Amino acid sequence: MPNIHIPRQEMPKQAPEDRRDNFNEVALGFTAELAQKEAQRCIQCKKPFCIDGCPVEIDIPAFIKFISEGDFEGALKKVREENLLPGICGRVCPQEQQCEIQCVLGKKQEPVAIGRLERFVADWGKQTGFDDEFHIEEKKKSVAVVGSGPASISCAIDLRRFGYQVTLFEALHKAGGVLQYGIPEFRLPKKIVDFEINNLDELGVDVKINTVIGQHVEFDELRGFFDAVFLGTGAGAPLFLNIEGEKLKGLYSANEFLIRTNLMKAYKFPEYDTPIICGNKVGVIGAGNVAMDAARCAVRLGADEVYILYRRTKKQAPARLEELENALEEGVILKELVNPVRVLGTDDGWVRAIELIMMELGEPDSSGRARPIPIENSEFEMELDTVVVALGTKPNRLFLNKVPELETTPWGTIQVDERLKTNMEGVYAGGDAVRGNATVILALGDGRTAARSIHAYLQNGKH
Amino acid sequence: MKYNITQKKDIGGTDYLLEVEAPQVAERIRPGNFVVLITVPNGERIPMSVQKAEDGKIAMFVKKLGKTSRALDACGECTTLEAVVGPMGKPVELKKFGNVVFVSDLVCGHAENYLFSQVFSKIEGNHMISMQTFPTKDEIYPEEYLAKGLCDEYYLTTKDGSVGLKGHYLEKLKELLDEGRCDIIFGGGDIPSLHELAKLTRPYEVPTIVTVRQIMVDATGMCGSCRVFVSGEMKLSCIDGPMFDATKLDFEDIISRLGMFKEAEAKAMEWCKQQQECK
Repeated sequence: MPNIHIPRQEMPKQAPEDRRDNFNEVALGFTAELAQKEAQRCIQCKKPFCIDGCPVEIDIPAFIKFISEGDFEGALKKVREENLLPGICGRVCPQEQQCEIQCVLGKKQEPVAIGRLERFVADWGKQTGFDDEFHIEEKKKSVAVVGSGPASISCAIDLRRFGYQVTLFEALHKAGGVLQYGIPEFRLPKKIVDFEINNLDELGVDVKINTVIGQHVEFDELRGFFDAVFLGTGAGAPLFLNIEGEKLKGLYSANEFLIRTNLMKAYKFPEYDTPIICGNKVGVIGAGNVAMDAARCAVRLGADEVYILYRRTKKQAPARLEELENALEEGVILKELVNPVRVLGTDDGWVRAIELIMMELGEPDSSGRARPIPIENSEFEMELDTVVVALGTKPNRLFLNKVPELETTPWGTIQVDERLKTNMEGVYAGGDAVRGNATVILALGDGRTAARSIHAYLQNGKH
Repeated sequence: MKYNITQKKDIGGTDYLLEVEAPQVAERIRPGNFVVLITVPNGERIPMSVQKAEDGKIAMFVKKLGKTSRALDACGECTTLEAVVGPMGKPVELKKFGNVVFVSDLVCGHAENYLFSQVFSKIEGNHMISMQTFPTKDEIYPEEYLAKGLCDEYYLTTKDGSVGLKGHYLEKLKELLDEGRCDIIFGGGDIPSLHELAKLTRPYEVPTIVTVRQIMVDATGMCGSCRVFVSGEMKLSCIDGPMFDATKLDFEDIISRLGMFKEAEAKAMEWCKQQQECK
């Protein structure tokens, strides 16, 4: 029986003073006991709004009911009907803005911890060696999926379940896109990513790494080989500030800082070949999730002081509250209402300091957030030896330059209709390549939408 | 999938030839492109110039410089590479330029010199001039790895004058420029030399296109580590380059940032030595 008097269960975490020194996962996950207790809080709404909040439409009350009854296998099967990446989603989805914000309990008390429960069943499945088989009715038609991030993975999985022959192409040496190169180990262990991506192999998706579409294989050739194409090429290109001092040594884009640390495992240098130089006083510009990831990596790489430099205040920070709190717990210092003017260097070209200007908040801008306005003559210098620019990313030109006939928006993202179809026959796109900087779960949702559209296209012919 | 190493041999000084089977890459490599290698599972992504692409194999010249290049050379049992990715970067336009010059004074530059000479000499209307500089006689590559047999005009220089012309290619090139015999100049190799090259050719207004590969991490346009500034505008050498108009590049920035990881490289070498001693 549901019991709404049970408080929301906290998930055990590594203590801040311990986790500052290691890249192991911070959140340790529910025990079976905690999971069952939390699951009992779900009141099993007849009209569950939480499902509306989930971009991949997991039957949330059903899987939670299984957990409350101790049937973890049943719970995992229910989740996997809609999502084959529960270990990833349970960790990195912003549930507080999606399923959990819709939870009826949340109106009077705290919502059910849906994300933590999803993670629990995923981890239970991994530990117990759970395996379920899908029956696939093979079709002859084939689809190429370009990129291997969340949108591509979910699209490939669904297309394969429809029976299509799917080949997935990844430019880098590991599949997973942002899950591999962007999100740090302490938030999303790579063994979880590898484990869930392994689903692709098991389903019979042909995964080709080290293959750059547009360079290695021309796009027209690809379209000739396959009956349809999905583009999940992401938004992997870094944005810089365009201010003085971006040539200095010790200034990184967040992408570089994270790729070195996560994909190339620079924190294990010299056992791993790729180095990173992280100074003692690090300033991270921006306050999104990527900024938090970079700041928390800097802490673990041994920096004494790590600052988040943000032009608005904590309240407006785009990062998940949980990640911001985690960063602060680890000693990261949030410096609000400052904006970089220029980066200053030593005589031999290393970062020495940053010049900041104080800001104040004005009327809301188009994003709905208060507009930051510089306060005249308030510039000051702050000593730093490493600067990480975390202002977001834009679509990578590597692929787009090769396909000039593909329509893009003024922001450089791929133009699609509501079915995620591009202007090119049989070519669909989704995830960050279309949305700019969005979330893993929205990308997963896009992958599913695109798979349905491609299925309709391949069944019925031209759109 | 691994990539078979088909040949590895010393060719002069601290340089060696590395040949790998990579049919798809070999088929598509053009002058200006580069490839990315990963030698071992823990390895870095290393951008490399290609000397020759034939029969499904690509050949490269490697200098025993850092941890990876030395380890690969020393490892007798290493018969495969983890990854060979490419072609990366933008190829140059293959066309008739007239007198085409390629100058090089360092390992990757010599590889490019070979490939450019091979390709451009075959385009009708081009007169291919190749210049290669080595420090001294003992470090000169065997003839089959020089551009000598592939071009229409060839100059070998050694810094100490032990073979060929004495001095650097810059000196001989100045003569050709004075004679008005250069329609386009390509260059590769040592970056400070390319900086000097840009200074030399600027007054003559001869197009001067050089290879600059700033430090790369992914080499697919994602990290921004390889940013260079062309007339003040930021470009990425992995996807916008690696060949740029030398006269417009900010070489001081390039040279400064190329040295960013010197200390780390020394640390890696030291670590590597200790590991070998432990064995």
